[in-house]
Amino acid sequence: MSKRVLCKFFAHGACLKGEHCEFSHDWKDPSNNICTFYQKGVCSYGSRCRYEHVKASQLQYSAESAPSSSANSLQHLVSCSVPVSHPYRTSSVGVGPVSGFPAELSASSIPFFPPVQPIWNQESGHHDLLDNGDVGELRSVNLADHSICSFAAAGNCPRGEKCPHIHGDLCPTCGKHCLHPFRPEEREEHLKTCEKKQKHLEALKHSQEIECSVCLERVLSKPTAAERKFGLLSECDHPFCISCIRNWRSSSPSSGLDVNSALRSCPICRKLSYFVIPSVIWYSTKEEKHEIVDSYKAKLRSIDCKHFDFGNGTCPFGTSCFYKHMVKPGSYLWNTTLMPDICRSSVLDLDDIEYSSDVMDMDAVLVLFEHLYRPHKPVGVEELEYKSDEDLENEVSMAEEMAFFPNADWV
Amino acid sequence: MQASRARLFKEYKEVQREKVVDPDIQLVCDDSNIFKWTALIKGPSETPYEGGVFQLAFSVPEQYPLQPPQVRFLTKIFHPNVHFKTGEICLDILKNAWSPAWTLQSVCRAIIALMAHPEPDSPLNCDSGNLLRSGDIRGFQSMARMYTRLAAMPKKG
Repeated sequence: MSKRVLCKFFAHGACLKGEHCEFSHDWKDPSNNICTFYQKGVCSYGSRCRYEHVKASQLQYSAESAPSSSANSLQHLVSCSVPVSHPYRTSSVGVGPVSGFPAELSASSIPFFPPVQPIWNQESGHHDLLDNGDVGELRSVNLADHSICSFAAAGNCPRGEKCPHIHGDLCPTCGKHCLHPFRPEEREEHLKTCEKKQKHLEALKHSQEIECSVCLERVLSKPTAAERKFGLLSECDHPFCISCIRNWRSSSPSSGLDVNSALRSCPICRKLSYFVIPSVIWYSTKEEKHEIVDSYKAKLRSIDCKHFDFGNGTCPFGTSCFYKHMVKPGSYLWNTTLMPDICRSSVLDLDDIEYSSDVMDMDAVLVLFEHLYRPHKPVGVEELEYKSDEDLENEVSMAEEMAFFPNADWV
Repeated sequence: MQASRARLFKEYKEVQREKVVDPDIQLVCDDSNIFKWTALIKGPSETPYEGGVFQLAFSVPEQYPLQPPQVRFLTKIFHPNVHFKTGEICLDILKNAWSPAWTLQSVCRAIIALMAHPEPDSPLNCDSGNLLRSGDIRGFQSMARMYTRLAAMPKKG
């Protein structure tokens, strides 16, 4: 099947695979010009996209059907039906070339048709181009399988009451008839995303007016995208551009400015803040600020700290670092503070393993139980270094108990 | 460089707009150099400086607003926190307590406030500071008033 689709690289005169290319190098074959983003749900180019916007059900056929007849291919593009006139597909799917076969009915029988794709419901009315008027037959099948009328979803349907398609219910947020009456998950999904979008838009609108007190410009009117971000201070609610406030906080203390009372504090209220959080929108309530801060921190927690370097380096922020501090086996911290203790105190356990099974490599055992031994919580270098030997011993032996506990079942 | 220029331009526009609002401050930008400004401020009332008009010279660094502008009095003034010869001003917000949220306009306001409330404990003009610290308010006031008349008021006749 893929051999029949023209190779994109070949079309540009540079396919490195040559004869072994899985795509066709025959100019007579049609090119696959389908937008994969649209297939997955949303193409940000919308109607300006240079690729074809067809649904997932068309993925296989449109390339084949493109040259057969223009009328036919149009049908494929605008409807979500199986290309009924093509001999290949019709025989394999088992749907005869019945004229006037309901488009939506056959679409639902295709296994890879994504069940929830709200964007298609908002698409301008393609179903109506392939109107077969067989209302009775449509109604007899499961109502949830029918798509809603996209004219109605987009605004208003010229046919009104006489429209053969289901008219969606009104969404209170976006004001469109795009809620499918018989697909509860889809409704729920749309309502949720719609509300979220609306909220974001409102916040964005509200944020447009906000000025930075350092450059005296509107933050969201700055020339580059990187500058169009707010820097939220943890302790007060004064707005700044992220670049302005970061520049100020990082300007050299040698210029005679106090670090804590001037540089690290809010330029307006002089409240000391320990960190700045970037955000594209400005908040209006405390909860919104919390949400922004929390999501930012959560994002950082998933990134490994480059100072800590898995236990090979020293992080100046210690336990209050926002990034992930994970000790890797074999790292400096692992070797110096943890390894010797394990070796010393786990001789017995190791013997057990060796007696009962093949000789296990110590490292392999440690790697196996690494997740039990060192939880993924940020651990500062200082914290480990200033523990007394006894503490460390206790901690190690406990963790090691946990680690070797499953021995019995394991061998 | 670019940022300081943009910011000063903003301030310039703001000053043009606000001229009427604050009659005590007249802030003028040098015609050819946006980093040089001069200001005329009126001495606050109920102080020995009342009735005087004092000229300030601003020299704005390229790192502005991350660094404070340099301000000095061009008009002679007898004040504990102003150097009598050079006109240098001892004011925390112009040194270690600077904040980028300050503007040239607000610096002028701060200087007016300093004129009304001198800090004799960190003097640049020791004579003036000593008068105040020793409690000779009357002596300080008459000295300050005399210099205001001599230097900051239009000559009569």
